[in-house]
Formats: sequence, C-alpha cells, structure tokens
Amino acid sequence: MANITCKNIVKSYGAHPVIEGLNLEISDREFVVFLGPSGCGKSTMLRMIAGLEEVSAGHIAIGGTDVTDLPPGERGVAMVFQSYALYPHMTVADNITFGLRRQGNSRAEIAPRLKQVADLLGLTPFLERRPKNLSGGQQQRVAMARAMIKTPKVFLFDEPLSNLDAKLREKLRTEIRKIHMQLKTTTIFVTHDQLEAMTIADRIVLMRDGQIEQMGTPDEIFERPRSRFVADFIGTPAMNFVRAEIRAGDELCASGGGLTLTLSPHSFPDLVAGQKVELGLRPARMELCGQNSHNAIHGTVVLVENMGAEGQVITNVAGAEVSFVTKDFRSLSPGDPVTFSIAPDHIHVFDPETGRSLRKD
Amino acid sequence: MTRKRFVTLTLIPAIGLLATLALVSIAGAIWFSVMNRTLRSADYEFVGLHNFLRLLRDRRFFNALENSIIWEAITVIGTLTLAVLLAVLIFETVKKPLWRNLICFAFLVPVLLPRVAAAFIWRFLYSPSLGVINYLCGLVGIGPVEFLANPSLALISVAVVDIWQWGLFFTVILLKLLETLPREPIEAAKLDSARTWEIHAYVTLPMLKGPLISLTLVKAVESLRSFDLIFVMTGGGPGTATETLDLYAYQMGINMGGRISYASAMSVLLLIVTTMAFVIIWKAGKKWTN
Ligand SMILES: Nc1ncnc2c1ncn2[C@@H]1O[C@H](COP(=O)(O)OP(=O)(O)OP(=O)(O)O)[C@@H](O)[C@H]1O
Ligand SMILES: [Mg+2]
Repeated sequence: MANITCKNIVKSYGAHPVIEGLNLEISDREFVVFLGPSGCGKSTMLRMIAGLEEVSAGHIAIGGTDVTDLPPGERGVAMVFQSYALYPHMTVADNITFGLRRQGNSRAEIAPRLKQVADLLGLTPFLERRPKNLSGGQQQRVAMARAMIKTPKVFLFDEPLSNLDAKLREKLRTEIRKIHMQLKTTTIFVTHDQLEAMTIADRIVLMRDGQIEQMGTPDEIFERPRSRFVADFIGTPAMNFVRAEIRAGDELCASGGGLTLTLSPHSFPDLVAGQKVELGLRPARMELCGQNSHNAIHGTVVLVENMGAEGQVITNVAGAEVSFVTKDFRSLSPGDPVTFSIAPDHIHVFDPETGRSLRKD
Repeated sequence: MTRKRFVTLTLIPAIGLLATLALVSIAGAIWFSVMNRTLRSADYEFVGLHNFLRLLRDRRFFNALENSIIWEAITVIGTLTLAVLLAVLIFETVKKPLWRNLICFAFLVPVLLPRVAAAFIWRFLYSPSLGVINYLCGLVGIGPVEFLANPSLALISVAVVDIWQWGLFFTVILLKLLETLPREPIEAAKLDSARTWEIHAYVTLPMLKGPLISLTLVKAVESLRSFDLIFVMTGGGPGTATETLDLYAYQMGINMGGRISYASAMSVLLLIVTTMAFVIIWKAGKKWTN
C-alpha cells in the first residue's frame, strides 16, 4: 500500500508563494501525471513529495505515514531526473547499486537484483561503462534502473524524457508504461508535453500557477475540460475559440464570428438568450460536409498543413481563423471555399469572463 | 597566418626568455658545482664530483633532506585536509550567500599577507611570554609551551603557519568548486539514503578529483619554497631542527663560509630529486584520474 496524500500544501520562496494550498489524493498503484505550463510548480510539488524541498505548510503522507519531516532517503521514494543525475565517476553497475550499498546490503546480496533490473532494461552489456560513454537514452535507462532496484513505494519522474529525441521518447514512454503495468508501483510523472501525459497517464493532474486546474482521466480532461485554460492546453491542433451570443428560438443556438451553431440543450440547460459566451471547437471533432448540413461552417481555405494521414486545414471564417482536421485535405488548396461542421455534442461553451465551462453534464 | 603559426610565434618570446633564464641558472649551478669556489678567495679549480661525494657523507645534509621531506608531507597533507574538511563543513552549514562570501573574504586574508608579515605575526602568537596561544594554554593548565624553541615542536609549529595561509585559501577554492557541481547527483545520493559525509566521500569529492590533484601539485611545488617563512620564524633552529635544504644551502653558500660550489652541488641534487619526484607523481596522478 502506498497511496499518497497531500494536504493543504503551501510552498513559498521568500514572500512569493509558488504552491498555494494544494490538496491531492493519489491511490495505490496509480500512474498520475502532473501536467502544466512551465513554471506552474510541477517540479516543486514533486520535489516536496521526494523530500528534496521543504513544505512551507501542509502535510504529506505516503502509505499512511506522515513523511513531512522525514529526510528523502527514509521516505521510500525513488526519483528519475530530467538531467539523469548519474554519478559521473562510477560505473553503471555502481551507479545502480549505490543506494542499496548505502543501506548496508552486501555486494553478494545485491548481485541477483542488479542482474534482474539490468536485464529488464537491457543494460547488461554496459554495466562496466562510465555514464559519459553512454547515449542519452541509455543514461536515462541507468537512472531508471537505479530507481527500480530499490523497490520503492513510489516512483517520481521529473520530465525524464525531455532531453531525448522524439523517437526514443516514444519508445521509453511505452517502456515506462509497461514497467508500471508489471510492477504496479505508485508513480508520479511530471511533464509539460500534453501528448505524453495523455498517452501514459491513469489520471492527469493539470496545474496552473501552483493550483490544480483540473484532475481526471485523460478522456475526462480531453472531452470535459472544466475551463478554457484546460481546453486550450490539451489537444493538438489547439482548440478554436469563437466569441458568440445565445440566440432566442426553439432550438438552443449560439451565433457570432460568422457562424451559427446549435447546442445540446441537455448539456447546457442554464444558457439564456442574449448571454455572451465563448465557443470551443476542437479541430479534430470537425469534418468536411455538404453545403446544407446541420451546423455547417462556411469559410475560405488559408493554409493546408500536411500531417501525413491527416491534414490540418486553416480557414478564414468571417475574418477569424478556424482550423479543422480532415483526411480529405489533399483536394483542398488555398483560396477554395470550404464547408465543415461539428456535432452539437462536441461543442464546448465557456464563460468569457471566468473561463469556466458552462457544461452541466 | 594559420592559427597554429600564430600561437607558436606569440609563444616563442616568452618561452624563450623563461627557458634562457632557467637554463642559464641551471648551467651556472652545474658549472659551480664541479669547482671548489668560495666567496673568500678568487682562485678556484675543477674538482669533478668531489662536492657531490662530500654531500653524501654530510649528516647535516641528510638532516636537511629529512626536514624537507617532512615539511613537504605535513604542509601538503595538512593544507588539503584542512581545506577539504572546512569547505565541506561550510558548504553544509552556511547556506546564506552573504555569510559564505564574508567567510571566503576572511579566509583569503592570510594568503594575501606577505610571508614575512605572517611569520612575524605568528612569532608573536607563539611567544612563550607574550603570545596569545600560550595564554590560552595557560588557562587550561598547560605550558608555557616553547613552540619555536622546542626541537620536536618547531617544524610543526612553522608548518601550522603555512597550513593556515594556504589551507584557508584552498578552502575558498574548494568551496567555490563545490558550488559549481550540479545539484542533481547530490540529490540523487540523498534519495539513495546516503548520509551527509557519504555524499561528499562518494559523490562530490570524487567528482572534484581532477581539481584536487591539481591543487595538490600546486601546493607541493609551493611547499618547496618555504625559505622565507622558516628563515624568519626560526632561522633553521633550534640547532638544525627546522633546517630544510634551501635553508642549508643558503647557510653554506651565503651566510657562513660562502662555499658556493658546495651549495650549488646541493641545489643541483635538489633539482634532480624534485624533478624525478614530480614526474613520478604526475604520471601516477594521470593514471589515477583515468
Ligand atoms: N529555489 C527557488 N527560488 C525561488 N523561486 C523558485 C525556486 N525554485 C523554483 N522557483 C519558482 O517556482 C515556480 C515553480 O517552479 P517549478 O520548477 O516547480 O516549475 P515547473 O512547473 O517544474 O516548470 P518546468 O516545466 O519549466 O520545469 C517558478 O515560478 C520558479 O521560478
Ligand atoms: Mg520542472
């Protein structure tokens, strides 16, 4: 059992608060990703859980024990750093086993475990090398082996893949996920890459300015963003935002910025005629359609971006840019008139003042 | 002009000058060492290796050689040990930059003092009747201790001054080096449940192995030039208890007797021994760092 509880965590450097009263509950075996823009306090939060940074106020418990005042070595956590943080003068084997040796285990006791993790991570051929003679990906594997061999209660990853190239990042991401499925150790993974977060997480904790903006499964975060900030942060290509006003009529519908869209009254029961709103339209949820289709949007193609299987089409709709994604982008070229549509279910509506989502289901 | 030629051309004058100066004096010393010149008379003749053979039978020479080796060992080891311990202590306990800078500034003062001034200050501190150190010893019921007049204490007492000057200076250098180390390996070691001393013994100091070896070599070379300090503090005494090779050479060649040739032979021998010693240490150090 190693659930993590953070209660009213406050962290300030001098008078400037970085984390303000954060509450978080992570259950045993969960894979949680801290996601957020640079400087929102992800690393700070992780380092406080690791014990590398003191909390200014609040309590942290791991597996039911209050660890707020325990030194890092006694918390049962292992951490993987963005910069790998290997001991440069030690061999790979010594790097991996350093922690166990510090806890007083003999080399004979350690040997079988070293072999096991080295095999798992494919490090057996490199055990006698120095870190500087390894590639970035191999170094990060050593760092992961060093964390795993301690069989910690909690794994902490601080942007472990940021220094690697795209291909390797994808490979190691899958590996980390597989290892988690095998070991089931509670894991917190920090990243500012939303795609990485979506693919790897059981649950995403989306942070903004030291506070949790939204917590939920990748699907919840993607389909039910609680605010404009979340909707904007998640998903590529980024969501289109259009200012509009709710129209009176039999159907619930909003118009503005050259388009008129019907909304699902079931999802937005509180909207009233004349209310100013901001519509959020995901490019991936829109598709080419016939002239008279429901919720059709008429525009002119400005640019077509080829993404391989799909293309992002950027259009001009009454002076504003709206983009959508389609497989049939090859027939389009700049200047063409184009009609596309979105299902009412996929339209997001935000309060333009507070940025809160107005969806009620 | 290629870069290489430019480098060569600009280096030639300085290196040439240095080489000439070094070679001329070495050649001069060798030339003197195979004669029997003294300051007293103008006549001299070629005596071959006579001076060197006499050196090998000179017990005062071996006493000086022993003192030199002891001096070298005490000052080098003492300086590095003091610097490592103090630097780690300050690194771990003093976290405020302002305090660190003040300490560094204070630690730089001793080495900025002229050697002779430092020597005089410590002669006062060590003084049996007026000195602060003996006053403190008196408070705990020891003494008065004859730091500079007791043959078994004198060399160590002088070495303490050298360690005071250089150890504190090296502390500042090491502290700055510790501050430049990346933070993550230290944090990783903390997570690997290493204690504070283990972090330094197994992580930070090994990461500073290269600079530490360089500092050791610098100090070893510097310790060879102990003349001014020892000369002012004890003059080689009591008896010959603190007489190192350079002091003995000075006594022979300039002070008493003016036996220049004998002193020159001694310097030539010293040159050969130190060159050999340093080549061996350098090679060993290189092997160790790889
Ligand atoms: N030692 C420090 N002193 C003062 N401010 C700090 C310190 N460390 C971090 N901060 C501030 O705390 C805030 C959060 O930093 P943190 O490193 O947690 O951000 P992050 O979310 O990890 O960002 P990134 O994605 O860039 O790593 C930042 O505004 C940063 O300037
Ligand atoms: Mg960070």
